[in-house]
Amino acid sequence: MYTARKPSWTLWGGTGTSLALLCLAAGIFWTLWTAGRGQETVEPDVAYIGAVLWFTLFQAAASTVLSLALGLAVAWSLTYQRRFPGRRQLIALMSLSMVLPTLVVVLGLITVLGRQGWLNSLFGSIGVPGIGSAIYGFGGILTAHVFLNAPFVARLLLQRLDTVPVERLKLGRSLGLSTWQRFRFIDWPALASSLPGLCVTVFLLCFTSFAVVLTLGGSPRFNTLEVAIYEAIKLEFDIRQAVALSLAQLGVCGALVVAASAFRSQDRSLSVVAERMPWPESSPLRLLQLSVISIFTLVYTAPLLAVLTDGLPADFAALMSQPVFVRALMTSLILATLSSAITLTVALLISGARHRLASPLHTRQTRFVPVVTSLLTVSGTIYLAIPSLVMALGFFLIARKLAADVYVLAPLALLLANVLMALPFALVIIYPALHKAGLKHDRVAISLGLSGFPRWRWVDFPAIRAEIGFVAALSFCFSFGDLGVISVFGNRGFSTLPWLLYQKMGSYRTTEAAGIALILLVITFIVFFVVPGCFKGKRDA
Amino acid sequence: MLEVTALRYRHNGAVTAEYRYDLEVGAGQIACLTGKSGSGKSTCLDLIAGFLQPHSGQVRIDKTNILTLAPEHRPLTILFQSHNLFDHLSAAQNVALGTNTSLKLTDNEKRDVQSALDRVGLLPLAGQRAGQLSGGEQQRVALARCLIRERPVLLLDEPFGALDRETRADMIVLVRKIVSEQSLAALMVTHDFNELDKAADRHYELSDGCIQRLK
Repeated sequence: MYTARKPSWTLWGGTGTSLALLCLAAGIFWTLWTAGRGQETVEPDVAYIGAVLWFTLFQAAASTVLSLALGLAVAWSLTYQRRFPGRRQLIALMSLSMVLPTLVVVLGLITVLGRQGWLNSLFGSIGVPGIGSAIYGFGGILTAHVFLNAPFVARLLLQRLDTVPVERLKLGRSLGLSTWQRFRFIDWPALASSLPGLCVTVFLLCFTSFAVVLTLGGSPRFNTLEVAIYEAIKLEFDIRQAVALSLAQLGVCGALVVAASAFRSQDRSLSVVAERMPWPESSPLRLLQLSVISIFTLVYTAPLLAVLTDGLPADFAALMSQPVFVRALMTSLILATLSSAITLTVALLISGARHRLASPLHTRQTRFVPVVTSLLTVSGTIYLAIPSLVMALGFFLIARKLAADVYVLAPLALLLANVLMALPFALVIIYPALHKAGLKHDRVAISLGLSGFPRWRWVDFPAIRAEIGFVAALSFCFSFGDLGVISVFGNRGFSTLPWLLYQKMGSYRTTEAAGIALILLVITFIVFFVVPGCFKGKRDA
Repeated sequence: MLEVTALRYRHNGAVTAEYRYDLEVGAGQIACLTGKSGSGKSTCLDLIAGFLQPHSGQVRIDKTNILTLAPEHRPLTILFQSHNLFDHLSAAQNVALGTNTSLKLTDNEKRDVQSALDRVGLLPLAGQRAGQLSGGEQQRVALARCLIRERPVLLLDEPFGALDRETRADMIVLVRKIVSEQSLAALMVTHDFNELDKAADRHYELSDGCIQRLK
């Protein structure tokens, strides 16, 4: 009998963590379900909830279509224009869109597209009517969603196009395929399998968008479920209405997550080819592709540059002398660091347990194995279906039962929420890497008697260190820029940098807001690009 | 007839390498090209097919230098070890791409497709999606597409490396038959000495960037 089949702390730890996560999700759901019952409050406004739900679905659908269309055009153009100056830097910047603090993006967009913004000034200077206040309302919501999601779409589709085997490209060239035929026979098949899953993911992100709608919505007409929940809790103190909105939100998100997981299972694994064969384009097509990339670069970098130019004149010394700023900065940094460490630990535990169950070398394949595997899989992904405001309301209601002052538990609620929001993404990155490394090294490691910490130190960690670095940076940035849960728990004594930024924006302290936005952007930029680099080692040596 | 004369190529990758190719393949012949991994065998095919640009030299097919032609206009077809087919298209559609890339076929073209599939013994599977075919069947479909293109030169880049021994032997017989019947000049990169014994009329070996005729 293999010694590896002895009960392992990874398996028990991962399964125990998964059970705890599922219990917590059930606890949130149960708290919400029971919260509105038996209270002496008015019935939820069903017509209002219906209208909000309709608009939320509509704006998410429109944002998804536009993000996919733009993302597809950019990815396709970048695939065939491999010598575009700054292409590598642009692609790296596109990855950043996943973790950019939403409020920072909003601030940048207002500087560029606002009433007093760059575009209106440019139009005014040449005597052309500007776009006025189009950045507020439906147009603003769409613009911000496309800004945040199109680069993410483009980055993923570009990666997909890079997996096209070079033999297929050679074959296409040798057959003399036209541009349309190349798209039809080579590009589209590479993209098609990932589009449904990507579509659902972007829809989910836009459906649960909070900060964008809160700051750019401009009118209750453009409220989404997330913002309506926030208003019900913070402005109207109508918990029953908030609960009804949350349940509607949970229902749609749950259905979307189930759909996304169905699509994901059809998705094939990515293996990027080392070098893509150049395919010279005709001049008009080349011009079109270069125009798409240039316009996209301009549109994507302008708001980021705006944050930079607005933020630089800020009085950082004065900002640093404000205790409220220092407290918010320290809180954000500590919470993001802790959140990153905990997310990584939980993701490694669950992934390790899943790998042990999937490998016959470690676990005898009994009928319990599929059940426990499902438990491990669901426990992480279930939190995709629980948007931040719904989670915040759940924690708020639980905290009300546990403590006289709910705000005492605010740091814990925020930390937990940040971990749970980053966990599904962490698992998607860590598990495939750990499983692949395990399949490759298990036999040798077992034959050498390598287990426990030595195995982790010498086998697993070196194999997945790049993924660990990426997840550490990703979860840090998610937590650092989040405005969801803190909007419910934030108060005078407890604030984070995004919440402080929102307050400064609300009180029209624009210079201070610009300074804070720049600090948020710079720290996010440094962490996202430097931390993964620190983890890259002699993996491929 | 395929003639490669003083064809030079310099690869500037992680390691800089320089290659020089000289070889000749007559009509109805199969020439095998062997060499260690990374010795530049596939590079030779890429240069002949037009996927890479040489620094100097000549590639002539039936006395015409083809180096100035775009890959799609070169009088040759190529068969790779894998990814020869578009999985979402049927076997017949994959073959048809060799004659009409818009896939709007005339009656004559349809007949040609059927005839090509028939010659490789796959007519009954004409409507099957390429992704559902076995490895050997996929290579036969790809070979049928090479046939329908009616080009005088056939390049084979380790075409049977992913097949089992029995299927590989069948495929070599089929290629041998087609090359003779159509009077094609075939250049095949291979690692397999069994293949070499059965198929090769000529044998070239690549070593240290230079080519040497062994048979």
